[in-house]
Amino acid sequence: MMLRAAGQVFMALSAVMLALPIVVVSGAALNSGRSMFFPPREPTLARFAEFFLSEPVWVTALMNSVLVAFGSAALAVLIAWPVAYRLWLSDTRASRVLAGLGSMPFALPPIVFGVGLGFLWSFLGGLGEIWSGIVSHAALFLALPLVTISIGLQSIDRAHLDAAATMGATEGMTFRTVILPQTIPYTISGFFFALVLSFNEFIVMFFVSASSYSTVTLQIFNSLRNGYTPTMAVAAITFITVSVIVFSAVARWGDLPRLMGAEPSKS
Amino acid sequence: MSGAGMVEARIELPAGAVVAAPEKRRMPAKGAALWAVVVFLCVTPFLLVLTISFGQKIEGAGWEWAMTLENYQRVFVGASWPDEVTFLYLQKLYYSLYYAVIASVLAVLTAFPFTYLMTRRAQARWLVFILASLSLSEVFIVMGWDVLLSNRSGLPMVFKATGLTDWLKAVGWFDILREWGLANPRNVKFKTSEFATILTMTYLVWPYAVILLYPPLSRLDHSMVEAARTMGAGPWKVMSTVILPSVRLPLVGAILLLFVFLLGTYVAVTVFAEPAKQTMAVSVYDAVRGNTLNAPFGAAQAMVLLATAAVFLSLGHVLSRRAEAGA
Repeated sequence: MMLRAAGQVFMALSAVMLALPIVVVSGAALNSGRSMFFPPREPTLARFAEFFLSEPVWVTALMNSVLVAFGSAALAVLIAWPVAYRLWLSDTRASRVLAGLGSMPFALPPIVFGVGLGFLWSFLGGLGEIWSGIVSHAALFLALPLVTISIGLQSIDRAHLDAAATMGATEGMTFRTVILPQTIPYTISGFFFALVLSFNEFIVMFFVSASSYSTVTLQIFNSLRNGYTPTMAVAAITFITVSVIVFSAVARWGDLPRLMGAEPSKS
Repeated sequence: MSGAGMVEARIELPAGAVVAAPEKRRMPAKGAALWAVVVFLCVTPFLLVLTISFGQKIEGAGWEWAMTLENYQRVFVGASWPDEVTFLYLQKLYYSLYYAVIASVLAVLTAFPFTYLMTRRAQARWLVFILASLSLSEVFIVMGWDVLLSNRSGLPMVFKATGLTDWLKAVGWFDILREWGLANPRNVKFKTSEFATILTMTYLVWPYAVILLYPPLSRLDHSMVEAARTMGAGPWKVMSTVILPSVRLPLVGAILLLFVFLLGTYVAVTVFAEPAKQTMAVSVYDAVRGNTLNAPFGAAQAMVLLATAAVFLSLGHVLSRRAEAGA
């Protein structure tokens, strides 16, 4: 019983520690003045209006962030699907190598990949363009939909495929009626994982954007040296809220414990 | 969906045949296109860094292709070797390793009991919380801790206001803190310090540690634990003889992965580390985009960082292979 209580206390303590900087930043967003104080002085919601509506710097940064996040997540899913599908159809050395190469940028220190992409786009003339930012993030986060789609494909009951084949379904029909419906939740989860991480990514974007446009994270980093303003805290709150909503949706409609690698029977 | 298109092209084949013998019926053109896309996006950037690391800086005009090892020489023994040897950049690499080792070990050690307890209760809600903080940008995390640790508005103010500073001075611990660089004559200070750097880096990877430890801990065979309990083993005995041995390799694997991830930390180090204790990632940035502008030299440093990461990643791979073989 003592140990159980100690466990509860440890969990609570960890949660507090984890939430501490988030709470501080969120509280600071309510300041009415130009500097960050915690607890906030003269709480107001004016900073929210500034961030979403009136300050052009933040509004464009937010637009860029949203554009890059949605574009790159969609592109990552489009590339990841055939790679994962190949790996599932035939677990050959070639398909495994392909999947491995696709996950490489995510596994290695992102600063190296960022430097490399910076070189690549400067040769191809895409440096500082928003499309190259989208493609860069798609490459960086390819591993995420790759993993979730693979998990989804593995969860398909082979008996369903055999049944479809016995009843004379063509491969296209099987794909549309058996494979696709069963993997859609996993595809969507992969899309959202890539989306949220792209939204929050900093270092690769830093090299690829070459200061010619900025996303919200870049904009915040640029303002780091000039001191914080409460508007930056509003950006942080927005991002946390988006993450919580997205992952709650994945947990609600997808199979979050399974995606995270828990035993299927437990979920 | 491009996957659908790929399958549509071979529509005449029965599905069973594809599952049984898909290898010979693949469309070579589509396969090649897929390979081209993946190699172009995921491999060429790394190859470019490698090639450019052998390049040369042109004074005042960027850089040119070359086949020189000068940049690597500068990283390992300094530019004016053999007349003079400096280990300035190796020292930066040392700090990269130093921060990353401590932070990854701390993160895994504290995340382990948390994850173990988490697998015993409502998992989905905790997972949402963990994932949300995991995806939180490094920039936001640094901002949060910066507000918390800054001398004017954060914990030092709290220390002063609650009289904790005076109490520390009274018991004599204040002098110890000063020796560690965590206090100035008037009050405690956390910026800039190794403490703040490592704390933020630990925080940065802590949710990752939970995610990495979650699969092995949630698959733990509970009949074993029950059996040990029935036979009268206490909780510590169960932990040390049943649970720990079965997750030892995942634990080490998690530390390795987080360590590699932390090698590239940029924002936390620039904000929290003292100027003399900056890491190689910061130096890479300075050379490629910052004030020194020497892209080949930056590329060489990036390659050294990458090689370090690769060594530890393959070590982790070997370990996980062994773990699978043992399971």
